[in-house]
Amino acid sequence: MPGMKQSGRRIYDWFEQRLQVEGPIKDAVLHKVPRNTASWWYVFGSAAFTLLMLQIVTGILLALVYVPSAAEAWNSLNILNHQVPLGWFLRAVHAWGSNFMVAVVFIHMAQVFLFGAYKFPRELTWTVGVFLLLMTLGMAFTGQVLRFDQDAYWGLGIGVFILSRVPWMGGGLVHLLLGGPTIAGATLSRFFALHVFVIPGTLLFLALVHVWMVIKLGINEWPMPGRLVRKSTYIAEYNQLTHEDGIPFVPGAFWKDLIFSAAVLAAVGVCAAVFGPAGPGGQPDPSITQTVPKPDFPFLWIYAVLSYLPPSMETPFILIAPILMIAGLLAVPFVASEGEKSWHRRPVAVLALASVAVGWGVFTHLAMNTPWSPHMGAWSGDTLPLEYLREATPLVRQGAVIFQAKQCRNCHSIGGHGGERGPALDAVATRMTPDQMRYKVVTGGGNMPAYGKNLSPPEIEALVSFLETLHPKGEPPAFDASQQAAQSNPAPGGSNTP
Amino acid sequence: MRRGALAFVLPLVLALAGCGRLPGARAEAEPPARPEDVLDFHTLYSTNCQACHGANGHGGPAMELGNPEYQALVDDATLRKWISGGMPGTEMPAFAQSAGGMLTDAQVNAIIAGMRKEWAKSNVFAGAAPPPYAQDQAGDVKRGQQTYQARCASCHEKPSRQQVTSLAYLSLVSDQALRTIIVTGRPDIGQPDWRLEPTPIPGRPPAVYAYLVGPPLSAQDVTDIVTYLGSLRNPAAVSAAPTPIPPRR
Amino acid sequence: MSEESNGPNKSSTGPEIDKASDREGPAVVSRRWLLLKAGVALNGLVGLALAVPVVRYLLAPVRKDSSYKSWVSLGDADGFPVGETRLVSFKNPWTQPWDGQTDNVAAYVRREGASQFTVFAINCAHLGCPVRWFPQSQLFMCPCHGGVYYADGSRASGPPERGLFTYDYKIVGEQLQIDAGQMPSLSNSAKLVNISSPAKTSGNDGDCGCRG
Repeated sequence: MPGMKQSGRRIYDWFEQRLQVEGPIKDAVLHKVPRNTASWWYVFGSAAFTLLMLQIVTGILLALVYVPSAAEAWNSLNILNHQVPLGWFLRAVHAWGSNFMVAVVFIHMAQVFLFGAYKFPRELTWTVGVFLLLMTLGMAFTGQVLRFDQDAYWGLGIGVFILSRVPWMGGGLVHLLLGGPTIAGATLSRFFALHVFVIPGTLLFLALVHVWMVIKLGINEWPMPGRLVRKSTYIAEYNQLTHEDGIPFVPGAFWKDLIFSAAVLAAVGVCAAVFGPAGPGGQPDPSITQTVPKPDFPFLWIYAVLSYLPPSMETPFILIAPILMIAGLLAVPFVASEGEKSWHRRPVAVLALASVAVGWGVFTHLAMNTPWSPHMGAWSGDTLPLEYLREATPLVRQGAVIFQAKQCRNCHSIGGHGGERGPALDAVATRMTPDQMRYKVVTGGGNMPAYGKNLSPPEIEALVSFLETLHPKGEPPAFDASQQAAQSNPAPGGSNTP
Repeated sequence: MRRGALAFVLPLVLALAGCGRLPGARAEAEPPARPEDVLDFHTLYSTNCQACHGANGHGGPAMELGNPEYQALVDDATLRKWISGGMPGTEMPAFAQSAGGMLTDAQVNAIIAGMRKEWAKSNVFAGAAPPPYAQDQAGDVKRGQQTYQARCASCHEKPSRQQVTSLAYLSLVSDQALRTIIVTGRPDIGQPDWRLEPTPIPGRPPAVYAYLVGPPLSAQDVTDIVTYLGSLRNPAAVSAAPTPIPPRR
Repeated sequence: MSEESNGPNKSSTGPEIDKASDREGPAVVSRRWLLLKAGVALNGLVGLALAVPVVRYLLAPVRKDSSYKSWVSLGDADGFPVGETRLVSFKNPWTQPWDGQTDNVAAYVRREGASQFTVFAINCAHLGCPVRWFPQSQLFMCPCHGGVYYADGSRASGPPERGLFTYDYKIVGEQLQIDAGQMPSLSNSAKLVNISSPAKTSGNDGDCGCRG
């Protein structure tokens, strides 16, 4: 087939003569990079870019069916899920692509931080990267809003309440965010514009700037302990390194990028096929109160932090912490633009990264279980273990009814079911005497509301008599030693009840 | 190399082409229903009722709804009244939206129909006529006390066991609730019905109640016992509980 | 971005331009540069003129709270039993035809006396999640971060700094009306109420945006 090959060559030349991109592309592709950067550690950036492309493609495909109207969005998603052939799969790929993209961007950032790659002359690359991270999170949040189910609605409500805490301009900012006084049609329209035009456009532009700088400044060399970065000498040293021990980027390093990207894409596809799309959950009707809103995965940690703040700290923390966090990230390359790159010589950096990672993991894990939230349906839906009532007297049984009917179960678990806001009560009788229980029930305290006004004396008696039975077999209930002593030796002429 | 890639990609393509079969597919599922549109009995029962009435109607702290005798004794209108508006004098709350609850009338009806379907049995009384659900005659306290001593006390007066004369207990149950449990019993906890025939308790030897056998309680007996227990009811007296003392810290 | 007028010296930016200007002589060059500057200035001016309406358009939703609100009827006042708290829903007065279900708003009406009401927003004062009323224990509970409120709306436990938000209400004829239209939040409610003091407002002074 030499003829075909020749005509192909002719067509290529025709275009090249007019476009003239061969030169710049060859330069970029064949530029030399330090040999040891052709490493599996250096594949996350390209994987993030691949995922961005995937998100753009699947996003456009979803936009063919999705209706960005508050009245129809939820329905159109259900049609995608249930009626459009493989609509569910595209939704799933887009949702899992989003999760993977957030994860890969964070891993990329951690790797860059650990390898000291943000140091001179790559400060601006890092700065742009911080904005890329923010944009990625912005895409995740606006994407959650476009799902427009109850989680989306109330997640946005949380956003409103966070913004509303800004002094003076809070109200105006809320109106600007929502496009009106409430979360409604105007809100979805503007989040659609943000998610589909504004943020992706900026994201793509910044990503190209980021890649441009990576090509122009060269890939960060593998950090060696003792090889310090100095602004006066670094560029010459780097050039020498690439000349003496460099390999062309393609194929030397690029094949690993390609394979990792394919692996990530395959992982997205498998997750999408196995776990399916995210939601949509219940309809976005704010008058439905039977809902337990929860944000998407990337924001779970914030959700957890917000529940652990003491009331007095809420506003200052919510307003100041994000600014400090972003400022901290932006400051990293300017605070430490020279010096050691190797993690062997940067204990503070390694420790900081480790604490952030552990903290993030702990908060995310907590937010998956939400131990701070009452279980709204526990009082009417969670049964008591049969053996807890086997020996029960009528009064104890009635106490168990009160335990359920007065929503105690919403915060206190028994037999592993129920809320976790308060302590589990399976063995409460070993910890508290009946009088202590009575006192606690009536006056509340700590995080427990006072039930004094809401329970009648017979109800309290029945409840306490039920709680008294909650102790493991063979472990005696708690008792008041002083009262027992007083009863066995009554003081002459005195009464021992106060 | 190319053949290897094909071997990798082809199954994936085939799997997708055969859509709907993948575990993540949502093709069969329904979109989520509004909470007021849920009419499935099992969903409604397990989210609204089973915490007190027990999983599958048995073994909960409150009335055993899964007892076929209970289902035979109570009519739909009465069930609807208690579920919708709550049962006065007990902890049974109102579930109908019209009374501040969360359920629509259609959902209340679905629960009633579901209970009938699951738990009602034909001919549970085997020809015997139980005392009516609602009290239909005047009761006598004195007579009630005698009947109670003769027919109930042997179990219910045992120290620290089954004390139905406890003031706190009586303040929390209505006469109707007492009457219902005397008539229908609670097989799940060994409480016999009005016939006072021994009922085996799950997990306990049945011999305990062997001496109970005797003539069934008459409608008048049941009314008298309930009247007697009702006369003991005095919620104001229960506040005599010891003054709470603060826990040590 | 439109401020290009300062610094005439900025013109010498690249070697090629310098070469070209050498060839064409100083007079031509200064005229071309002047025209270029004029072009930039013209674009800046037009841009500014167009930016004003754009900004005004973007800021359109930012309005006084009072302009979003109006009195909404919750139905017959006698439909609310004395001593009870009931969930009601109403249509948001500020709507667009494409709002769908989002124009439903819920509120809790507590009737304390013949003409004494408290109308609570369902939004938790912490982060706005919908609280649920439990008549049995007389508590409002929030599903998000565990805020709990007593029947009068005061904070019982959890992260909220204050009690539930309330709407202004009045009784017109037989109808209970509230001043609604805005998602209650900390910016449009009067103030932070001290946690220890009961967050009850007296009479019909609600705090859902009483700033207007």
